Amino acid sequence: MFYTSSNHIRRCLTREVIRLVVVSAVLSNCVAYAQKLPIPQNLPNNLQIHGFASQSWLKSTDNNNVFGKSSSDSGSFDFRELGLNASMRPKPNLQFSAQMLSRTAGKGSPGNIRLDYGFIDYAFLSEENSKMGIRLGRMKNPLGFYNDTRDVPFTRPSILLPQSIYFDRVRKVAIAADGVHLYGEYRFDHGVLSFQGGPVRPLVRGAEAEVALLGQGVPGHLDPDISYIGRISYELDEGRLRFAFSGTDLNINYDPASGDPLRAGSIRFTPLIFSAQYNAERWSFTSEYALRHFEYKNFGIAALNQDFFGESYYLQGVYRITPEWEAIARYDVLYTDSNDRSGKKWAAATGGDPHRRYAKDITVGLRWNVTPEFMLRAEYHRVHGTGWLSTLDNPNSGDLSPNWNLFSILGSYRF
Amino acid sequence: MSTGQIKKLVTIKIKISHLIASICLLLGLLFVAGKTWAVEPYEIVTNSGVSEKTLSKNALRAIFGMRLHTWPDGSPIHVFVLPDEAPLHIAFSKEKLNVFPYQLRAAWDRLVFSGTGQAPETVASPEEMLAKVGSTPGAIGYLTRSRMDGSVNVLHVK
Repeated sequence: MFYTSSNHIRRCLTREVIRLVVVSAVLSNCVAYAQKLPIPQNLPNNLQIHGFASQSWLKSTDNNNVFGKSSSDSGSFDFRELGLNASMRPKPNLQFSAQMLSRTAGKGSPGNIRLDYGFIDYAFLSEENSKMGIRLGRMKNPLGFYNDTRDVPFTRPSILLPQSIYFDRVRKVAIAADGVHLYGEYRFDHGVLSFQGGPVRPLVRGAEAEVALLGQGVPGHLDPDISYIGRISYELDEGRLRFAFSGTDLNINYDPASGDPLRAGSIRFTPLIFSAQYNAERWSFTSEYALRHFEYKNFGIAALNQDFFGESYYLQGVYRITPEWEAIARYDVLYTDSNDRSGKKWAAATGGDPHRRYAKDITVGLRWNVTPEFMLRAEYHRVHGTGWLSTLDNPNSGDLSPNWNLFSILGSYRF
Repeated sequence: MSTGQIKKLVTIKIKISHLIASICLLLGLLFVAGKTWAVEPYEIVTNSGVSEKTLSKNALRAIFGMRLHTWPDGSPIHVFVLPDEAPLHIAFSKEKLNVFPYQLRAAWDRLVFSGTGQAPETVASPEEMLAKVGSTPGAIGYLTRSRMDGSVNVLHVK
């Protein structure tokens, strides 16, 4: 069984490597051509336009699917990220920014184009050592080190972010929100202290959030309630050491359909994330720890009314072999309920499989910066547990194997 | 101890010393590869219209980190940089800002792709750096002394 799947992987891998090399050769020609074109500089109002496009291929073992049918013989190409943003700074203290995003990632993200962020940023105080301002509109949620730019492969440490903290199956709830942020920073001699946050309305409409938070086949819908989000960070020596503490108080209400067995319940999700990073010339070490409190209330069904803490952490090392080549290793752990780490209590109560409640993922990967604009990546995951696998891509929990492997390749272009 | 055991021990010792030697060689190679080539003497330069002659290290880092957008008189700052792999950019980042170019790139990417800031303008060559800083009001950049002319001022770090 293992040998056949590894043979499959090898055959598919050869095919995909050839395909990626051809695609990258074509792309880098396009890039070379694009660089010869007169790119407009000094646009009015300091207008800047940037974007990115990426395509991945994923191949997993057993029946465990990540972003489409990745466990099929041919793997899955169902992971594509396209983004285009524009920013304008008509005055030094005033900026308008917006980004459109299309993300295809299995059944949860069908690739529709949507507004990723769009806001006005006004700095009402700006001095040599301090700054303070306000942002109005749809902002990326300031959570951990990576959430703000999680869909941009160049800003991620790996093809898949550590799933214990940056869940891809509940990303819409975490990714952005509409509201007001206050932000500020103070620059000391040896570091910068900064904060941002405020009241927001989370984005919870759609099947992805409903299935992730309530399970499949729920007739009603989720409605956002007033929520709060914020991050405080301290960067020593211009980022040699980075620390951050972020959290949110996310409130979501359930709007039952007529004849719904569920009542008008509410979900309160309050994750706290502690982040630390050390950056040397060749090494970067990163670790994040999250304590996630879930409270389900007034759903009228005892099994759904729950109150528990989830726990997640990862340790990650990146080594820059040359400016073009980078290697990464990471150990990532998720416990859905920290009082039931093996999932046995949950399995006894619900009849589910205990491995749906945890995941331990060892990842190794390589990044190759072919040009400053074009990057190729390959990575391998050895996972024990299925805690972060999407229910939409894996509708039959019984088919899942608790021990599985995932291999992935990504090509990404930016400008 | 039998002769066989001693032979085994000796083989293990030789293997360990080979391993240590290879690790030393690898680390040595990495060290050599990590050393940057010395660049000619260079200065931080501004457009000749900028009245500032000195700046604190904090302010300089904030300007190149794209977090400080105005000169003390309130006029806008325009930041110009060479490509990440340019030896002068590497030397300037490490010596004047105390950061590695990959950290600057990561910080600019976070600003650009979250909408909370903008990237500096990248110029392709020292000639273009001189032309852009010399002609853009409020501009700041860096140049080797041999490339400078009267269109730019030297800015000293306090």
